[in-house]
Amino acid sequence: MTGVDAHPTRTRTSRSGDAPAVEVVDLQRRYGSFEAVRGISFEVHPGEVFALLGVNGAGKTSALEVLEGLARPDGGTVRVLGGDPRRDHATVRPHLGVLLQSSGLPGDLTVGETVTTWARTLTDPRPVEEALAQVDMTGRADVRVRSLSGGERRRLDLALALLGRPRVLVLDEPTTGLDPESRRTVWSLVREMVRGGTAVVLTTHHLEEAEELADRIAILRSGRIELEGTPTEIAATQPATIRFDLGPAAPPLPPLPGVRVVTPSPRVELHTHDLQPALTALLAWAADRELTLTGLQARAASLERAFLAVADGATTTSDRSTPESRSA
Amino acid sequence: MPTATTASTASTAASSATGPSRTRRTLALARAETRLFLRNRTAVVNSLLLPLLLVAAVPVLGFGGGEIQVGPRLVVSAIGVMLVFLTYTNLLATFVARREDLVLQRMRTGELTGAEVLLGTAAPTLLITFGQVALVGAGTAALGEWTAPVDVVLPLVALIGGGALMLLLAAASTAFTRTSESAQITALPLLLVSTTLSGLFFPLSVLPDPLATAARFLPLTPIVELSQLGLAGLTWSGAAVDWAGAWTAALLPLAVLAAWLGVGGSLARRGFRWAPRR
Repeated sequence: MTGVDAHPTRTRTSRSGDAPAVEVVDLQRRYGSFEAVRGISFEVHPGEVFALLGVNGAGKTSALEVLEGLARPDGGTVRVLGGDPRRDHATVRPHLGVLLQSSGLPGDLTVGETVTTWARTLTDPRPVEEALAQVDMTGRADVRVRSLSGGERRRLDLALALLGRPRVLVLDEPTTGLDPESRRTVWSLVREMVRGGTAVVLTTHHLEEAEELADRIAILRSGRIELEGTPTEIAATQPATIRFDLGPAAPPLPPLPGVRVVTPSPRVELHTHDLQPALTALLAWAADRELTLTGLQARAASLERAFLAVADGATTTSDRSTPESRSA
Repeated sequence: MPTATTASTASTAASSATGPSRTRRTLALARAETRLFLRNRTAVVNSLLLPLLLVAAVPVLGFGGGEIQVGPRLVVSAIGVMLVFLTYTNLLATFVARREDLVLQRMRTGELTGAEVLLGTAAPTLLITFGQVALVGAGTAALGEWTAPVDVVLPLVALIGGGALMLLLAAASTAFTRTSESAQITALPLLLVSTTLSGLFFPLSVLPDPLATAARFLPLTPIVELSQLGLAGLTWSGAAVDWAGAWTAALLPLAVLAAWLGVGGSLARRGFRWAPRR
């Protein structure tokens, strides 16, 4: 293995125009007889955000641990900047920033000491003041880590992950437990890194976060990628929903083009892949008969629906209780 | 939102820059760990008190003042006792605590290698061990109970090799130690067996031959033997030797120590986990 390719040749012309920064091919991980990751593949290009979604136990953290170089794959290959994150430690690590789902720091060091210590171990660290300013913790340098709030601790974690100016950033649930304002801070930091050409792989429970940040999303269930695409593509796999209440005296619904009746009268729910004509026909019918569609709602297909549809499938397969975060 | 340097300029800088050396990285962590130790006043006082008490025991209990100076023997005891009861137990408790606090796993996400993380984390304990042994030496010298050693290399090898061995054995012992509190208990077998049969408390030559021979292959015994050869010029059976005799007698314990370092290394490699079991 030759290690990191510092000057990748441009072979593509898309917005993610460089050779992939992260290449995962048929990745597998097992704990004993349990298969946590069952052959997943994806690529992330410089300047791109790739989000792995899935319920707890879907295999997100197990997959990331291989990218982070913390675990060996039981099958398949992972390349980060062309290198193996474990074997090519010396060439890959200087360019890899990692935020673990949960991780600890010694409580009796101050914030400043913690960042300084970490910086001394890195090839090309940011100045400590800049790192603290990035996460809005400039005034907190002299505070012991023990005294930080949960959100501040998470931001310090992120500052450390960004400290080495990584070209590949792996974020395992970066904003879990953060207040909305801190979450926005994290989002804008991630965007800033991406503008600079960093490739980002993140996992999240927050669909809003995936929609906000991700260029591409993969929904993981029981160790397999069930759906992959842009947020719009993924949402489009699900139908739009129309809901309303009909009075008991109302006539039966007419046949509507491309509409499936999920729940009939009186609390009607309709699904369609073509919302506008369906809604037009429905409203015309109601106007004709002078009916009131109480509580009328029409919602376009959403990422959330797609996620829930895949996650619902997960509840029927057996391995919900398995340890996704076996080694957090 | 404050601005950050763009990653594109950073990446060109990064690809041309060479990072800090292994030593510098380890020292960075060792420095932070030492700072943590110094903030723990109880630990600092304890680690100063122990060797001073050991030295104070000499006049108080009426040792010394005889024809044979007790200093060298006391330093041999200090090396054996400190390595097992301080270095090993402390390192085991520290490694387990850092693992359970998820600090080790975090340290491993950066440029530090696993070995650097362990060595950096162990640094204060190792420094204290060496400092305490030196303190006992200095203390007995101040009491006029010191004689020049037969050889200085052998005891240094014993101390440094012993420190390394304790680090490896502690790392290996984390495999069956769930919490830092239980470290005292899981460490007990090694502590009791190897200290009892190390020649620290009684010369191994009083044991029946097969047992004495077996005891010489325990992990702590070569450390005690080497220290005793160098500092007091005494073999494991209590015979007095000169410099050449010390080195001749040192061959077996040196080999045993080297073998244990190999065993310890492979046990540590196999047994050590970076993250808590979930």
